[in-house]
Amino acid sequence: MADLVMEAKHVYKTYGRSNKKADTCIDIKQQVEAVKDVSLQIRKGDIKLIFGPSGSGKSTFLRCMAMLDIPDKGEIYLGDECLTKPGVDLNKARARIGFVFQHIYLFRHLTALSNVELALRQVLKLPKEEARKRALDALTEVKVTDCINKYPAQMSGGQAQRVGIARALVRNPDIILLDEPTSALDPELTGEVIDTLRDLAKEGTTMLIVSHEMPFAREVAEEMIFYDEGTIVETGPPSQFFNAPNTDRAKKFMTRIINRTTRE
Amino acid sequence: MFDFLLNPVYATWIVEGLLLTVEITLFGVLLGLGLGTLLTIGDIYGKKPIKAAIAVYVEFFRGSPLFVQLFLAVYTVPAILNVQIDHYVMAFLVFGLNSAGYQKGYLKGAMETVLGDQMQAGLSTGMSKLQTLRHVILPQAYRIVIPSWTNEFCSLTKSTATLAYVGLSDLVSAGISIKGITYQILPVWLVIGVIYLVWITGFSKLMDVVYEKKKVPGVEFLMQ
Repeated sequence: MADLVMEAKHVYKTYGRSNKKADTCIDIKQQVEAVKDVSLQIRKGDIKLIFGPSGSGKSTFLRCMAMLDIPDKGEIYLGDECLTKPGVDLNKARARIGFVFQHIYLFRHLTALSNVELALRQVLKLPKEEARKRALDALTEVKVTDCINKYPAQMSGGQAQRVGIARALVRNPDIILLDEPTSALDPELTGEVIDTLRDLAKEGTTMLIVSHEMPFAREVAEEMIFYDEGTIVETGPPSQFFNAPNTDRAKKFMTRIINRTTRE
Repeated sequence: MFDFLLNPVYATWIVEGLLLTVEITLFGVLLGLGLGTLLTIGDIYGKKPIKAAIAVYVEFFRGSPLFVQLFLAVYTVPAILNVQIDHYVMAFLVFGLNSAGYQKGYLKGAMETVLGDQMQAGLSTGMSKLQTLRHVILPQAYRIVIPSWTNEFCSLTKSTATLAYVGLSDLVSAGISIKGITYQILPVWLVIGVIYLVWITGFSKLMDVVYEKKKVPGVEFLMQ
């Protein structure tokens, strides 16, 4: 399988949450199983979309894929390199993965240009001019050339998120992981970001996206993954979910989400 | 009343005293900043024994009087080690070590407000923890910490009065000498007080300007 970009094999991640009640002195240890035996394969050029109720562990799974959270059990492969083996240079691996955050997380003290440039200089060790050129190209690609010298707090959410996308794609990563890239934005700004993602899709960028933008999913995703209670419930092409999901849970969720979308 | 100022000997004492005060304070806050940064990083990322050692360090330097620390450093430590160390060297060192104890507290607070999301973002671009600290976390934390750092400077400047205890000639020991000869007690302390006031106010105002200049554009707007 030479074209396998990323693979998750039986990944588990549990959070221990301590709920100490002050008045009773009872310590209730709550275990949240955010990821339970999740396996997933992504090939070159794939666009897969994960969706499901909030709090179901989608983001945790995505963060495990990027090794921003270390899985308790299971394996993550980037190409044929196993990232969950001890002693792997995770920084090197992460340099080949682009990550876009729900709450954007731009470097607050740097301009848009410097945000995109920083890793090129520090990680890829590119000379100044080349880094600048590539950063400008990336910012042009996501159409935010008008705010290259603006700081994150001076941009709109949509502009900031597009800079976030530029920061993720400027290193030409093998894959871009996007964690609800539009859910912190209002509908108008969501449109801007979705347009950018659509462009990336057209160029054949490999993407794993957590999102509830259903029209977008229908348009670009080869596969949709319904995720609930820490695990993959159903997988299939968009047509399957939009017409007749196999599982009751997916059916219910789709009904709710489509009603919400049409109301808007 | 203030004619002692015209005496070149006294004037020299005052100027030399002021110079020592200024030098040792600036050295102290800068060494304190560097060392405080290392202590903070050790406290956040270090294993338990390192954290414990840092806690002991901080509590010692914050919890005991500066003049006791000075006394130990200038007289006791060289005696135990059986070496001759210049009193000035030890005094400069103590001011830096002491200031690091305080600045660790300021920096930890500042870094913790930045760390969560910004560290994630740094790692996600392939940078190491250390690179992210250097290029993302510290530049933001240092900006936040400037006002606390200015406070530390003010406090440390006045702490140089303790240098007289170990026989070093700072501004206050110049005052002690002059008043001992001239008996112009109030005028001498007024002059010394005004010199402190002018130097500290001037430097603090400069730091206020630096703070405003270094502010990240747009951020203050967000905080309202």
